[in-house]
Amino acid sequence: MPAVSIDTFFACALMVIAVLSAMAGTSTLLHPYINSAVDKNTAERYEEISKYLLLNSGTPLNWGQNGSIKPETFGLAKMGTENPYELDIDKVSRLNSESMQAMSYAELFTSIGLPDVAFRLEIKPVFEVFINLTATFPSTDNTEYQFEILTEKNGAPVPVYLKCYVIAENYLSTTEVYVSGGKTRQNVTISNNVHGPSLLAVLARSAYDARIASSKVYAFAHKTAEPKPRGTFLRLSPLSYVLNASFAYPAVNLSSAYALTFEYNSTLTQKASDNGSATYEIPHFLDPSLMIIALTGWNSTAFFIEWVAYPQVPVQVGADFAGFTSLSNVFAYMYVVTINSAIFECTVWVGGPRD
Amino acid sequence: MYGLGWGSSRLKKADRGQIRIIEAFLAVLIIFSAFAVSADLTGSRSATKSESLASIGLHSLMKLDQDGRLGMYITDGDFTALREALDLILPAGICFNLTVYVTVYDEQMQRLNTDVITNGGFNSQEVAFVEYICASQSATLRCYVIHVNLGMAT
Repeated sequence: MPAVSIDTFFACALMVIAVLSAMAGTSTLLHPYINSAVDKNTAERYEEISKYLLLNSGTPLNWGQNGSIKPETFGLAKMGTENPYELDIDKVSRLNSESMQAMSYAELFTSIGLPDVAFRLEIKPVFEVFINLTATFPSTDNTEYQFEILTEKNGAPVPVYLKCYVIAENYLSTTEVYVSGGKTRQNVTISNNVHGPSLLAVLARSAYDARIASSKVYAFAHKTAEPKPRGTFLRLSPLSYVLNASFAYPAVNLSSAYALTFEYNSTLTQKASDNGSATYEIPHFLDPSLMIIALTGWNSTAFFIEWVAYPQVPVQVGADFAGFTSLSNVFAYMYVVTINSAIFECTVWVGGPRD
Repeated sequence: MYGLGWGSSRLKKADRGQIRIIEAFLAVLIIFSAFAVSADLTGSRSATKSESLASIGLHSLMKLDQDGRLGMYITDGDFTALREALDLILPAGICFNLTVYVTVYDEQMQRLNTDVITNGGFNSQEVAFVEYICASQSATLRCYVIHVNLGMAT
C-alpha cells in the first residue's frame, strides 16, 4: 500500500472521530439549555392557559348559577366584570366536591377542550385561622369554654380583627376583638339549659385591608357527646344566593338558620321544604367577607348544627400531579383573586406530557 | 490539519493561503456562534424567573389598587399599612422594597417615603422591578409612581 493511501486513511478517520466527538460534546453541553428553551415555551403556553381559566367567564356566561348547566367552555370569571381576576361566587362553589351541584374533574377537563393539558386549581384565603379548645370550666348554671385563636400566614402572625359567633339551640352570641400579635384567648360562656353541641364561627379580616379575610368554624360538645362530623345530618349547598339543605335522615327537623359575615348576621327564612330537603334565601350582604351559613335542627332527639361557607372555599379540584412530576411538565402559577370583593389566593397547576 | 493537508495536496501551492483564511474564518464563526447561543440560552432562563416575579408583584399592586386603597395609604402617609397589606398579599418567600414618588403637574418626581418600605432583608439573586402608577382618592388629583424591587427570599 502506498504511503499516501495510509496517510489519507488516517486523516479521514481522524476527521470523522473529531467531528463525531465535537457533535457529542456540543449536544451534551447544550442539552439542558435547549430543554430549558422548550420548557420556557411550554411554561408560557401553560401560563396563558392558567390566565384564561381565571379571566374568562366560560359559556354560557352564567353557568355557575344554575346547577343543571354544564359549561361548554370553562372559565371562572364573574359575568360582565370590569375587574381582572374577579371570580364568580357560584362558579367557585361548584368546584367544591361537597356541593350538590359540584362539577367533576372529567367535566371540567372536557369543557377546557385541551386534551394534552391537565390542571389543578386551589383557592384559599390569604391567611389561616386556627382554633383550639384549651380549657373547660363547668359550674352549676353555666359552662365556660376557653379557646385559643391563632391567625397566621405560613407561620407568621397576622394582625386582624376577629368576629366570633357562638351558636347553640336558640342561642346566638357575638364578640369582636382586635388581635395584634396573631394570637388571642376567647372565653365563651353558655348556659347549661341550652342544648349542645355548639359551634364557634370565627371570621377574621386583616387589620390593614378588610378585603383580606379568612374564617374557621369549630364544633364542640356542650352538655352532649362530641359533635358528629360535618354532613352527618344535612348536605348544604349554597348556589345563586339560595341555600339547599338535603336531609340525610327522614326524621330531621330544622330549627334555625343563620347567615354570618364579619359586619352582618341574619336569620334566614325558609323558602320551601319537602320531606327530604329545604331551601332558604341568602341575603346579599355588602361586606367583603366570607359568609358562614349555619343550620340547627333535631334528628329525633339529637340536636345538631351543620354549616357551610359561601363561597365554598377553601377548594381544591383537578388532577393530582404528585408522583408524576418526572413524567410530565408541571408548572404552578399563583394569582390573587377576588370573590365578592374579598381577596383570596389562587394557585393553578398546569401540566402535560414531557416532550 | 490532516484533512486540509490531504485536500491541499491536490491544490496548487498558490491557493494554500486562501484555504487557510477560509478555515480560520470558519473556526472563528463557529466559536462565536457557540458563545452567542449559550449567552442567549442562559439569559432567557433568568429572564423567565424575573418576569414571573414582576407579574406577581404587578398583580398584587393591582389588587390593592382595585378599590382605591393603594392611593389612600399613600395619601394618608400610612406606609406601615401599605407594607403590611402588600406583605400579606404577596406569596410567602417573596421580599420587596418599595419607593413611592409623587408627580405634581409637570414637576419632577419627588420621593415620598423617607424610610425604606421593605418586608425584610432584601438579599436575592433573582430580582425583578415593577413600576406602578396610581392616583390619589382625594379631591386634589395626585399621581403616584410606585417602584418595587422584588426578590426571592434566601
